[in-house]
Amino acid sequence: MTNLEKYDKAFISNLKVTKDQLPGLKYRGLEAWDSVAHMDLIADLEESFDIMMEMKDILDFNSYEHGKIVLKEVYGVDIEG
Amino acid sequence: MLLENKTAVVTGCLQGIGRAVLDLFVREGADVFACCQKETEEFKEHVDALSKEYGREVIPVYFDLKDADAIRDAARTIQKSRKKIDMLINVAGIADDAYFQMMSMESLKNTFEVNFFSQMLLTQYMVKLMLRNKKGSIVNVSSVIGLDGNAGQLAYSASKAAMAAATKTLSAELAEKGIRVNAVAPGVIDTAMTSVLSEEILDRQLRNADIPRKGTPQEVADVILYLASDRASYVTGQILRVDAGIG
Repeated sequence: MTNLEKYDKAFISNLKVTKDQLPGLKYRGLEAWDSVAHMDLIADLEESFDIMMEMKDILDFNSYEHGKIVLKEVYGVDIEG
Repeated sequence: MLLENKTAVVTGCLQGIGRAVLDLFVREGADVFACCQKETEEFKEHVDALSKEYGREVIPVYFDLKDADAIRDAARTIQKSRKKIDMLINVAGIADDAYFQMMSMESLKNTFEVNFFSQMLLTQYMVKLMLRNKKGSIVNVSSVIGLDGNAGQLAYSASKAAMAAATKTLSAELAEKGIRVNAVAPGVIDTAMTSVLSEEILDRQLRNADIPRKGTPQEVADVILYLASDRASYVTGQILRVDAGIG
């Protein structure tokens, strides 16, 4: 499974969305992406990419697109690579 | 055995209640990340002996609770082990007693840093690991002093009251994720911490107890074991006094 597939899978399974809903998806942009689901999503991503995120990055992780940037710039995980 | 095939993270393992929890949990079948501030020869030998005797993994993790980076590194070490974390027992604590008018703000902040802020930071990290399994149990060590107050112990009592309040809020937040959060509130326990209490404070506390003696760390560890184990599967958000009926 590629990093992008793992990343998408975390969103799809934790936020109960479909793949075509992912672009533009923002934290609190839909009812399912609340703070509780956010922590589930983060836990899933941490396990998938073997990282442990800092709270400031968890708070900064506020959209599907920006999450990729946080993972790449702070944790060296290249989602698109 | 109550904790067979479970893994616990225990802070404050060097001595006192933390050491008693470490020993009891290993005897009950758990693997334990034994956290303490510094490595000592005695602790290393104790951990090795414990591990050999009971055939469990006892992994020492050394970090200073006043150092957020060290706490993060410790959490990362625990995460990298890939072990499923079932229990977190926040025992570590300090007391820096002084009457209010003589208490420095530095002392107050330092006590909160160790007794509350750092434990919350470690809890944040460990909860993320527990969320993966949708199951876990956290036991915080508060104190009857945090519930009742005591002259000359403002920093300690306020920090332990914060721990009790956090226990209830965490319970409310995490129950739906399968994580139970409880606390014990020990009374006068025979540890290094109470050995430095003034006669005046000790007498006042023991005079109010139905069982007029100090408790043992083992007696507190037994209650922590119950709360941490599945025997307490319907218990969460509780502050259980282990205090011989003080007050």
